[in-house]
Amino acid sequence: MPSNTSVKDARVVALIGNPNTGKSSLFNALCGMNARVGNYPGVTVEQKVGRLSGTAETIDVIDLPGTYSLAARSADEAVAVNVLSGEIPQQAKPEVAIVILDAANVERNLYLFSQIYELGLPVIVVMNMWDRVTSEGLTVNAELLSQRLGVPVVCTSANKRKGIDELKKTIESTLRSPASTPRPEQFARAMFPSVFHDEVKQLTEWLESQGRKPSTYQVDRLLIDSDGHFQKLICQSGLPDIATKIEDARLRLQTAGCKVPMFETKARYAWVRKLIDGAVVRQESRSASPSDRIDRWLTHRWVGMLFFVFVMFIVFQSITLFAKFPMDGIQWLQAQASGGVEAVLAPGALRSLIVDGVIGGVGGVIVFLPQIAILFLFIAILEDCGYMARAAFVMDKLMTTVGLSGKSFLPLMSSFACAVPGIMATRTIESRKDRMVTLLIAPLMSCSARLPVYVLMVSAFVPDTKYVGGWITLQGMVLMFMQSLGAMVAIPVAWLLKKFFFPGEPATFLMELHSYKWPSPVVIYQRVWERLLSFVVRAGTLIFCTSILVWAAVYFPGDHLSLDSSVSKLERLQSEVSETIAKQPSSPRGTEAPIEDPNIANMQSKIDEAQELVNQQRSKLIEGSFLGMVGHRIEPFVKPLGWDWKIGVAVVASFPAREVIIATLGTIYSLGSDQDENSQGLQHQMQIAEWPNDGKPVFSLATALSIMVFFALCAQCSATLMTIRRETNSWRWPIFSFVYMTTLAYIGAWLTYQCFRFWS
Amino acid sequence: MRFHQFEIFPVCGSMITDSVPLPIEYLQPECHGTIVEMCGQPCQMQRLAELGIRQGCKVRMVCQGEPCLICIEGRRISLRLGDSADIFVIPAAG
Repeated sequence: MPSNTSVKDARVVALIGNPNTGKSSLFNALCGMNARVGNYPGVTVEQKVGRLSGTAETIDVIDLPGTYSLAARSADEAVAVNVLSGEIPQQAKPEVAIVILDAANVERNLYLFSQIYELGLPVIVVMNMWDRVTSEGLTVNAELLSQRLGVPVVCTSANKRKGIDELKKTIESTLRSPASTPRPEQFARAMFPSVFHDEVKQLTEWLESQGRKPSTYQVDRLLIDSDGHFQKLICQSGLPDIATKIEDARLRLQTAGCKVPMFETKARYAWVRKLIDGAVVRQESRSASPSDRIDRWLTHRWVGMLFFVFVMFIVFQSITLFAKFPMDGIQWLQAQASGGVEAVLAPGALRSLIVDGVIGGVGGVIVFLPQIAILFLFIAILEDCGYMARAAFVMDKLMTTVGLSGKSFLPLMSSFACAVPGIMATRTIESRKDRMVTLLIAPLMSCSARLPVYVLMVSAFVPDTKYVGGWITLQGMVLMFMQSLGAMVAIPVAWLLKKFFFPGEPATFLMELHSYKWPSPVVIYQRVWERLLSFVVRAGTLIFCTSILVWAAVYFPGDHLSLDSSVSKLERLQSEVSETIAKQPSSPRGTEAPIEDPNIANMQSKIDEAQELVNQQRSKLIEGSFLGMVGHRIEPFVKPLGWDWKIGVAVVASFPAREVIIATLGTIYSLGSDQDENSQGLQHQMQIAEWPNDGKPVFSLATALSIMVFFALCAQCSATLMTIRRETNSWRWPIFSFVYMTTLAYIGAWLTYQCFRFWS
Repeated sequence: MRFHQFEIFPVCGSMITDSVPLPIEYLQPECHGTIVEMCGQPCQMQRLAELGIRQGCKVRMVCQGEPCLICIEGRRISLRLGDSADIFVIPAAG
């Protein structure tokens, strides 16, 4: 992916700025939906590259991670520096850096600019969110700033698509004729003490004598950032005495009165203040803004917490209420596809593979796209309007009780959609211990892949009781409880991990909360679209392959000739009945056939007999299949959980991806796998399934709850485990996650079954 | 290092003299102040400065507590520094 992110002849520009400066909106405005997402080589930092639309030349835009400074402390910040310096293999060095400033907070944003300016790249400054300049009582003279900075300054309101064309023109003109390289005395580092410059010179000479060619920027960072990214890199590179050299230099700086690292921030802010003097004027506001007034309630210790619970309640009720209609549509399409194949192909292995394996397996997963869309829609709205950061603020208090900080909340919240981006989002946590604990509990959050399992079980075994005129449902409440279970269990797990594996005080909590704003429909559409697309791709690859493997394990070995002939006979009978009904005169209502017709009644009873025979033959074949053999072996292990061998194998088959269980259950319940979680057929088969020895129902409320608890707590996702492996660079932690979560799931499911078996 | 005597008298800016610095978390909601001193671990100080929290800045308390929510130059920043750093402010009169 990374190697082909840029076309060879394309010009490359990079987009960089503080978090919450509207960088994503600007990227979308510049590139439309042409973004490609991948990873930078060697690190798991997301790389987003887009093609600039509407320009004569082919220009690629790299969206760099949001950062407050180039003093790299995390992998994200290091990538930003390395991309701008052209040190990422297979990634062309950007020709222009586009620095996005929040127009309403120029002073702080120019701090980052002052660092980027020193990298020697042509720079374009974008004053984004320009509409807020007037609304917040500011006066900003962009022209004067442009003259003083010596770089083009463009004012935009990306979410309203204002100023975008001018920015595109500026990018093109800067690529054609970049501004002259600034002189070193124009940089903020010219204001660093002379003793620091002497030390930089000495260290550079020494490094060059050792065969290294560091840039001035890298040497600056080596001396300023105690235990920073560059220091770690150079110490690992095997250069003798480097650590001592750096420490000695810092000691000399301290002795000379140059306080490392604070001298840098002082000098840079002094440089910035000089630059904006008279160009940026802020009216002193003593009154609270609308955001402040909302925050007084939403960040209140108790009101804020209650509001958060209320929001979550609305999200999960909406999933149960609004997903039904589109799901019915997908099911109808699925049935049409199966019917089409059955009309063309005679019963046999190929038809079974297509209908039961492909349409049933993949279709069974695609059917829960609407629920996932609703979940992602809510998450995108909450993130974009600014509420999610408030939720992190409210949760910080709770998080500190288990030794974490509010910063862990956002990755955990992302994990409710999917644990993979959630785990990747832990990169923003600076404390390694906090990051590790967050990363290990993130898979416990109830991801969207668990939803279909809950929906299937809840709709089949939880009474459809409605309250408040049908707006609140018991099924919705059970669904919300199951979705919250992982998070509740994560609390003691995090506490134990923090106490025994990663001891230490909670990291400090420092986070900017941007003002509330109306969510941008484009940004929301794009986020939901990206997630849905990745889900469909996953269904078309991993789940497709797993479905075919499960189908093969159910289909072989076994002689299907007699089953195929029974199915042919059944279909023939069904077709005859349809034709006879069609020839009958219409009933008074015009639609229903006269069921009292003795011929039809006779044929109907023949159909029932044939159906019974087909079911018996299928059950017998499944019992003798590879999956059946494995199932009987594992039955003693799953019986204490209230499961029969069929549930056991379905659960085992779903270890690579949870979604597989729906297709697997459908297949092994001898109906073919064209079942989905709302299919009455699968639900009905589950409701009538009996234990062979005593004839008691296999599924009860206790069994359903036991399955749901198992799915809530188990690590059934190979993608998640691989992401943990990549993020921790070790097999130890994915194995640890798998073992602790599976154990927890087994114990949880056993306890649930034992508690509820006497109740139900 | 914390000035524990302030825990006994968490007061609003209008009630005390301008010359008394107090830890930022004791600034009452909607009270304004100026940061007069910051101390703590160097890397933490650097991070705070990068976020725009530095000596001489005017600050308004939006939501008191731990973490607290402050407003600096129109930006809201949530803050829980624990023992890693201390920020002292002089509350504005009135």
